[in-house]
Amino acid sequence: MDRAYEPTTGVAMSEAATIVLTGIACTEGDPRASPAVNDWLASRKSRKYMGKQDELAVMSAGQAITGAGLRGCEALSGAGLYWTIGHIPFERAEIEAIARKSLDPHAQFSMHHFATEGIEQVNPLLTFRCLPNMPAFHISLNFGICGPYLVSYPGIAQFYSSLQQACRDLRRQRVVHAVVGAVADQYNFLVDFYFQRATARRSLHRKDAAGCLCLELASTARSRGATVLAQLSDVTLGYDPDAPAAQAGAAASCTDLIEGLAQALQRADARYTHRAQSLDYGQLASLWVR
Amino acid sequence: VVVTGLGVLSPLGADLTSFAENLLAGQSAVAPVSLFDARDFNTRIASEVPQAWMPASTVDRKSEFALRSARAAVAHAQASGAPLSGGGRAGVCVGIGLELFSMPDMVKWLEMEAQSGPSLHNPADDFLQTQADACVHDISREHGLRMMPVVHVSACAASTDALGHAFRLLRDGEADWMLAGGADSMINPMGFAGFCKIQAMTGRNDDPQAASRPFDAQRDGFVLGEGAGMMVLESLQHAQGRGATIYAELLGYGNSFDAFGISEPHPEGKGALLAMRRAFADAQLPAASVRHVNAHGTSTPKNDPAETSALKQLLGEQVEAVSVNASKSMLGHLIAASGAIEVAAQIACANKGWLHPTINLEEVDPNCQLAHIVGAPQRWQAGGVMLKNSFAFGGQNACLVMRVG
Repeated sequence: MDRAYEPTTGVAMSEAATIVLTGIACTEGDPRASPAVNDWLASRKSRKYMGKQDELAVMSAGQAITGAGLRGCEALSGAGLYWTIGHIPFERAEIEAIARKSLDPHAQFSMHHFATEGIEQVNPLLTFRCLPNMPAFHISLNFGICGPYLVSYPGIAQFYSSLQQACRDLRRQRVVHAVVGAVADQYNFLVDFYFQRATARRSLHRKDAAGCLCLELASTARSRGATVLAQLSDVTLGYDPDAPAAQAGAAASCTDLIEGLAQALQRADARYTHRAQSLDYGQLASLWVR
Repeated sequence: VVVTGLGVLSPLGADLTSFAENLLAGQSAVAPVSLFDARDFNTRIASEVPQAWMPASTVDRKSEFALRSARAAVAHAQASGAPLSGGGRAGVCVGIGLELFSMPDMVKWLEMEAQSGPSLHNPADDFLQTQADACVHDISREHGLRMMPVVHVSACAASTDALGHAFRLLRDGEADWMLAGGADSMINPMGFAGFCKIQAMTGRNDDPQAASRPFDAQRDGFVLGEGAGMMVLESLQHAQGRGATIYAELLGYGNSFDAFGISEPHPEGKGALLAMRRAFADAQLPAASVRHVNAHGTSTPKNDPAETSALKQLLGEQVEAVSVNASKSMLGHLIAASGAIEVAAQIACANKGWLHPTINLEEVDPNCQLAHIVGAPQRWQAGGVMLKNSFAFGGQNACLVMRVG
């Protein structure tokens, strides 16, 4: 498994297809009361459809896209969007409201009460807020991105897979710009419950967070005069489905990666390496940046 | 990139032969919901995989569907030629649905938590179904696949995206063979409640077998289905090297966003058209080469005319010569699994020399005029080019171009 931590010539970028970072952003915390979300919306009305993951995703994508100088550019329409979504975004208050009205007179669950009164307690928009493809939808809507896309779930291994696919698509000129990100709503009660079930997860550092990278070929960045923040040297993946499950891992690790990269850029580190080791099912990944 | 194995676990068959025979016979799988008491829901019908086909111990239906259809696809691929071997150049891409939970167990859990505080050993701790992505690791383990699996969650386009992603990995030379497809089941109280709330499903409860009627003037929503379709995809060289039977060739893949509405497609099918054009460009074929379209065809008021509009823009006058069918008329809407099961339906039927009809299409909506296959199956000329469309809530569109038969 150690080979996953070594740069490989197979995935490393050749000089002709050097991939560079031109935009990066991280957003953390619960944005739902924040007016800052509105700055990124084409129409404020769309906010009623948005859950926490959606808002975090739109904010981080907006900041990264703006940082890359791409907001409002025609070229963004054909950008590839590669987005990884975290676990189950149901809200406790809404589920409890359903549950309260789904009981019979003996305080037992009743399908009749659930179907007639319980489900009336929630707004129909709950359905949309809980679909895992919605963060990608909101990014596409608010920044005019028509794809292609890759929407994956739920952890950092999927983020690394998406990042690798974005690099392939850039090198093969299937896309000119790649917007690669991840979002996690981890102070969610269902995530709490899920993590409690696996001993190794209980002590995990969790976040409500999103992170986004804007990538393009160096030649593209040069031709449009974009500021290059870093160069991606390599992305490697390793996978052993026979490895012990549930060591740890969650989508926040994706944002750890991006946050760490952002800090490294601020420190002007010459090299940044992110290694994701503690993942379910023996998933290993690393990112090498200059 | 070729298809050498197909596996299905569907409301119309747990094996490929009965699945294709039922489709060609125009059989509907829609019936009153049996998996839970749905009598008080606005919609009370669905397209279920019969309980008799499922082990009593099933905890999570979509995971069971995925595992069994993957196993069937590998067995089918190995029915001819040398066995497939796993390793670092083989992997799995799956489109999968939303993780849901048992509402009765959730109620118990909330009650117990209120009484005794958070507990790590709560007896009601089964309320979450298996983590949705767990099945890809089980599939990888069972078949020795060592490439990082990819879990697509682009809703109703997810399994078409999974097939397209696997196709790209093979064509780019990153893999020798891939398992790809999708699995889903939202036939449970939370899934039903969600779709009832947004009024996406049919209300034709008294006539279940006629309820799913894509492109018909009297359509009023989709019928929820469940199941899985998985395929073995190989590079042509790899398939020939082991002497495998080839059932279809994938030629191109494209996807797009509408960047328009959350629940409704762009009325002129702008995003759908972009995905179709991208798929043909990827295949390096003109759209005029297509002979048949397996439509997304949900039977919802807004999807079907938008898809029709996109096809007319894509094909121009030639649209009248291109046959169209909608598998959801018989299978219902398998959500994340719909694309893969419908691709499997086309390949299974076309390899018998036929295309299945769209059932319940009695009066074509004036805004949905296409060369629909109605009444009886239509002959398929081997080697023709097909287009498969899948469109999702949130305007995510995925299309595949393939040569079949």
